Amino acid sequence: MNARLLRRALMLVATILLVHAAAFFLMRTTRGGPFDEARALDPQVKLALEQRYGLDEPLAVQYWHALTGLWQGDFGPSLRYREVSVADLLADALPVSFAVGGGALLWGLLFGIPLGMVAAGARRRLLGQSATTLATVLLALPNFVLAGAAIALFSFALGWLPPAGTGGLAHLFLPSLCLGLPLAAQISLLVRDAASERWQSAGVRHARALGLSGQRLWWAHILKPSLTPVLAFLGPATAAVLTGSLVIERIFALPGLGTFFVEAALNRDYTLALGVTVVYTALLGLATFFADVLLMKLDPRVEALS
Amino acid sequence: MNLWAKRLAWGFLVVLTVAAIVAPWLPVVDYRVMDADARLLPPGSAGHVLGTDAQGRDLLARLLFGARISLLVGAVGTLVAMLIGLPYGAVAGLRGGRVDRFLMRLADALESVPMVVMVLFLLSVLREYRVEMEVIGFGRLQLFLVAIGFLFWLPTARVARAESLRISRLPFVTAARLQGMSTFAQLRRHILPNLWPTLRVMWLLTIPRVILMEAFLSFLGLGVEAPAVSWGGLASDGLAAMNPLVASWWLLALPSAALVLTLLALQQVGRGEDSAV
Repeated sequence: MNARLLRRALMLVATILLVHAAAFFLMRTTRGGPFDEARALDPQVKLALEQRYGLDEPLAVQYWHALTGLWQGDFGPSLRYREVSVADLLADALPVSFAVGGGALLWGLLFGIPLGMVAAGARRRLLGQSATTLATVLLALPNFVLAGAAIALFSFALGWLPPAGTGGLAHLFLPSLCLGLPLAAQISLLVRDAASERWQSAGVRHARALGLSGQRLWWAHILKPSLTPVLAFLGPATAAVLTGSLVIERIFALPGLGTFFVEAALNRDYTLALGVTVVYTALLGLATFFADVLLMKLDPRVEALS
Repeated sequence: MNLWAKRLAWGFLVVLTVAAIVAPWLPVVDYRVMDADARLLPPGSAGHVLGTDAQGRDLLARLLFGARISLLVGAVGTLVAMLIGLPYGAVAGLRGGRVDRFLMRLADALESVPMVVMVLFLLSVLREYRVEMEVIGFGRLQLFLVAIGFLFWLPTARVARAESLRISRLPFVTAARLQGMSTFAQLRRHILPNLWPTLRVMWLLTIPRVILMEAFLSFLGLGVEAPAVSWGGLASDGLAAMNPLVASWWLLALPSAALVLTLLALQQVGRGEDSAV
């Protein structure tokens, strides 16, 4: 197990380095430099700026600087918000994104697991079928549509929650919910399939033949094993949260990683975009890594298979 | 009930596709024409059945022309994804051994990269080369299709690998191999034709995800560019126009509804085919 974990960890580091290198060379070899704005700069001013940001050195030297910077968590200055370092921007943005993304994962589990269990437990009745239908409809709802509907309802019509901005838990409620509901739909379908399969398994049939029923059957023999696929889904779920946060943070005007990334991509702030890309890669890699570790701990078959 | 849902879904998709194809010849207002006297008309206004947007452009026309882009990207983008994923997976499954291990390890590594972020990065960098790309006939839309293909080829590759692994172990393929048939010939004669049914289902199941991704990218302002419209871009405009004072709900609700109905119909159709295979 340790050898496998070590290999995974090494792969994570390699992935981060590769993504960093790819983004770095892509951004440095692109013709349009950050200082080629519509208003042409005086050549001397431009030279001074480039010297200041180290853009006049050979590419290999620049890459070496970027690598040592990466090791120290330093991505250089933002090209857009002059005077502010990318690391500072990231440090400000990370807690916001963590709160929204973590909240979304929580909503996903909180709604998804019970919904899936209902769909499996009552699959021959209207209740279970409506649970499945709800999940499929939620899956087809892009999160900006959800966000629009939620803002229209809870902020404008009812006036219960703020439509945008930061400030407290109330500001995080709608964004994390809109980000989490599609996850809940996917989780519920996973749980439903796993639970239905467990229901027909020899183990559960045996337990029922012995007279086991009710809570103990459902909790210990059906729900618990059905959570393994949910755990395996945590990696892709994190990827979905990262992707979705690009839109959700923008709609709710939250100063998180997603907002910064989209603005950086639109404004050619390549150092900032590079920083966010690396952070995203690391987050996704770590989430997949931990999901893997947990999965191996809970289900020895996973290790045996690999 | 299921049968009816499926018929309804097919019917909706066929009508939508036909409407999208013949949109330029339909008697609707030009979707690009702005009319300062007809701004933010609600649905049901004279001359504008579904209302107009903040610049006075007809929403029905914009939805119709948006369908062209959204459906085109969905169908062709998925095709591009399959063209990348299919040979990749088929070769991995058929050759097995070291080739298979290498290709699948690479796929695993790519899976742990936030692809959407990378693609956005690439799209933003490539905007610098817009003029040159246009010269070689590679506009925004073509670029977009390739990006989509790049984002979605991995699942196809996995399915193609599993299937080609299964097929390559069937007696008639083994016999062909023992008689000295080359890898390429095996692929062409035995693997690819038998992959077809699985791929058809994959194609149908991937289209809604691609359409969703197109809406997502257009929503962020990195999709197709004006004057072209897509449903995601329309919804984005609608959301931007939404505030508590001016209740122009139709600008968000109608593009969203078009998108969601299409996705639901595609899901329904895909699932029906899935259980049929």
